[in-house]
Amino acid sequence: MSIAIAPRAAARPLPSGLRVAARQLSGVKILIPFIALVGVWWAIREAGQFPERVLVSPARVWDTLVVLASHGVLAEYISTSMSMIGIAAVISLAIGVPIGFLIGSNRYAARGLEAFLRYLQGVSGIAWLPLVIIWFGFTHTTTLVIVIYTLIVPIIFNTMTGVRAVPEHYALALRSLGASRLRLITDVYLPGALPSIVVGLRLGMGYGWRALIAAEMLVRQGGLGDLIFGARTSGQIDRIIGGMILIGTLYIIVNRLLVQPLENLTIARWGVLRK
Amino acid sequence: MSVEAITPMSPARRALGHLLWRLVPIAPFLIILLIWIVLWEVFRPSKETLPPVRDVVAAIRDLGLSGQLAQNVIASLGRLVLGSLLGIVTGVAAGFVVGLNRNVAEMLNPLAVFFNAISGIVWLPLMITWIGIGSALAVFLIWNTVFFIVFQNTVLGVQLVPEVLEQGVRALGASRSETLRSVTLPGALPYILTGIRSGLGFGWRALIAAELVGAASGLGTMIFDAAEYHRSDIIISGCLIIGTIAIIMDRWLLLPIERRTVQRWGLVSDAEDRH
Amino acid sequence: MMAVQNSAEKIVVSGFRHFFDTEDGPVQATGEINLKIAAGEFVTLAGPSGCGKTTLLKAMAGFLRPTEGAIHCDGKLVTQPGRERGVVFQELAILPWRTVRRNIGHGLEIAGMPKAERDEKVARLIELIGLGGFEDRYPHELSGGMRQRVAVARTWAADPDVILMDEPFAAVDAMTRLTLQEELARLCAATRKTVFFITHSVDEAVFLGDRVLVMTRRPGTIKATIEVPRRSPGGRDWESFTTDPAMQSIAEQVLRMVRAERGAADADEKREAAVAAPP
Repeated sequence: MSIAIAPRAAARPLPSGLRVAARQLSGVKILIPFIALVGVWWAIREAGQFPERVLVSPARVWDTLVVLASHGVLAEYISTSMSMIGIAAVISLAIGVPIGFLIGSNRYAARGLEAFLRYLQGVSGIAWLPLVIIWFGFTHTTTLVIVIYTLIVPIIFNTMTGVRAVPEHYALALRSLGASRLRLITDVYLPGALPSIVVGLRLGMGYGWRALIAAEMLVRQGGLGDLIFGARTSGQIDRIIGGMILIGTLYIIVNRLLVQPLENLTIARWGVLRK
Repeated sequence: MSVEAITPMSPARRALGHLLWRLVPIAPFLIILLIWIVLWEVFRPSKETLPPVRDVVAAIRDLGLSGQLAQNVIASLGRLVLGSLLGIVTGVAAGFVVGLNRNVAEMLNPLAVFFNAISGIVWLPLMITWIGIGSALAVFLIWNTVFFIVFQNTVLGVQLVPEVLEQGVRALGASRSETLRSVTLPGALPYILTGIRSGLGFGWRALIAAELVGAASGLGTMIFDAAEYHRSDIIISGCLIIGTIAIIMDRWLLLPIERRTVQRWGLVSDAEDRH
Repeated sequence: MMAVQNSAEKIVVSGFRHFFDTEDGPVQATGEINLKIAAGEFVTLAGPSGCGKTTLLKAMAGFLRPTEGAIHCDGKLVTQPGRERGVVFQELAILPWRTVRRNIGHGLEIAGMPKAERDEKVARLIELIGLGGFEDRYPHELSGGMRQRVAVARTWAADPDVILMDEPFAAVDAMTRLTLQEELARLCAATRKTVFFITHSVDEAVFLGDRVLVMTRRPGTIKATIEVPRRSPGGRDWESFTTDPAMQSIAEQVLRMVRAERGAADADEKREAAVAAPP
């Protein structure tokens, strides 16, 4: 989720040598705002002379992260969170896509479930957390249930809309070629709905990641949410800030390197179907 | 996809069809209710695992009569309103500043992406350390959530106002601020309103999460306290009410506002499924 | 209603009449239609818009069940779409996520033809329709005319008994349309299929058809059947068509009939509007 930059007019092409340098530079360009931010952070700390329990310096955060990493602690927290979101995504797709298909193929089912799903989204997964804790205790299962709950709704929705968006005459054309019901699903509806499903996955991962952090804060069984929430009780600001930076960075990495390319791949091929 | 069966319908059958169409959205709720009742009758789970429907109904009634419900709802809504107003005002203002200036937008884009990735609940531990538990915390988290969504949408809206429209009015002699007021603002309005609607939905969810962790009053707190005493009936009541408020707010307050302004101007027709 | 089936008759439409259900009650889409299409014939149907020709084609395809009457294909009652009756639509119906090659071969894939055989057949068709070099492109990389070529090729490849075409070239620009019509004529001459082609362009109907049916305005019935004799066996081209006096007089005849129907349809509309409007 970024600010969309409306395209500017094409610039005149640079000579080839400079072009390579420019490309490398634009990669670095992204870091400049962050460097500036860190600079401001450092300046604020120096100027305000804040005590350690309120604000720590960037250097301190870095040191803490390095220490945690070297002890393998960081890897553990990160892998817990990542595996949670990963498992939740897989399960949500496995359950959500078929449900979305079923709903999408029937007008009444689609209308019937739309309001219900929106309602479920309104009662966020976190609200159900206390109840789920009563059911499954302070365990990974609880976290997983909450995250799946959050992830699955956009997937179902988007699968549903994706299926319904497939123009009817695609299916008719294929039936006139002798396609069976199963064929229609594999050759028409599944590929046709795929771009929408991937969008649903992206949205779901976004909501799910947030729900995961929140759940980890309460369930306290590991993961980055646990890290930053736990650090609060012991007043370890360096850990909190370090954890926050990690959370943001990981989300961006997963989004940019996994989900968005997937989305672009399907859109590029599907071309016409995409508005 | 279906082969049409043609039997001309009588007006009575058509009216029945219409009625069924309107009632279909209620079906899943009734089905869940049914499953709940059946599960309880057959398995007789403990009250803390799954209270019977009548317990939940009684809990709602009691909460309502004792004024506790009203108290908590008002507390929660109050925070939502305050946080959202702040978020909307700052989001729109910042959105305009950034949206109108391409260079600033490009510079700030990476930062916006990053902070968006950690918006909301991730700030909880840090904020608790800085400003403690309570209303201020909740308001901050809501502001944070709403701000980024409104900001993003505003930037998009401002950037997408066709330059041609702005130039046209400038050519008529309008000053910069007049152009902003008469062209840019209305032009960006659909996106801003979508952002507000989206932001409020997310803000409400963030609020509940914030309250779950710590506040003196509010629906989230109500659920949290009930969890300590294993009062699942109150937990469920709370969740249902949270969901209901979310729906009421979205469908009957925000959607009509969005429709009335935006659709009247013929700007955006599919205001519904933006998120 | 007995349909007497002649072994050379591919399609028999008997007593067909269709109503649509709407908010304001049933609306008659077509009047009573009876027609027969013989094997190997190219029958075109021309008529003003809204006359019900698409409804007739949909019923022949099996996309809807007739309110009255029956349609038989090779003696069997038509109730569902099936591979015996291939359809080429006006709108884009080739799959955007498949290459040209995979789209054209789709029907063969469904029929279970082994890959080698399939590839060969597809390659031949691609040559025939002039899409050589574009086999691995996706539909969104092609022009409208090329896409329709793919759609036609796909249906042709599947080798159905009957090919139903619903104004397939209507959405294509005028110049490309002429080329596509010539190509279609060539294709049909080379492959001897039974085709039912509906259009509202009179020239197209006469150019392509062995037999031209003219439909009345809504609710449409078949008003006239005109045979179009062919001089050259190798397909037609527009140049000779426009300079051939016999062809032109047939076209004129059909045009007059369709025009009359269109005029009468306009008069109907005006009358209905006058009745509905407040005094």
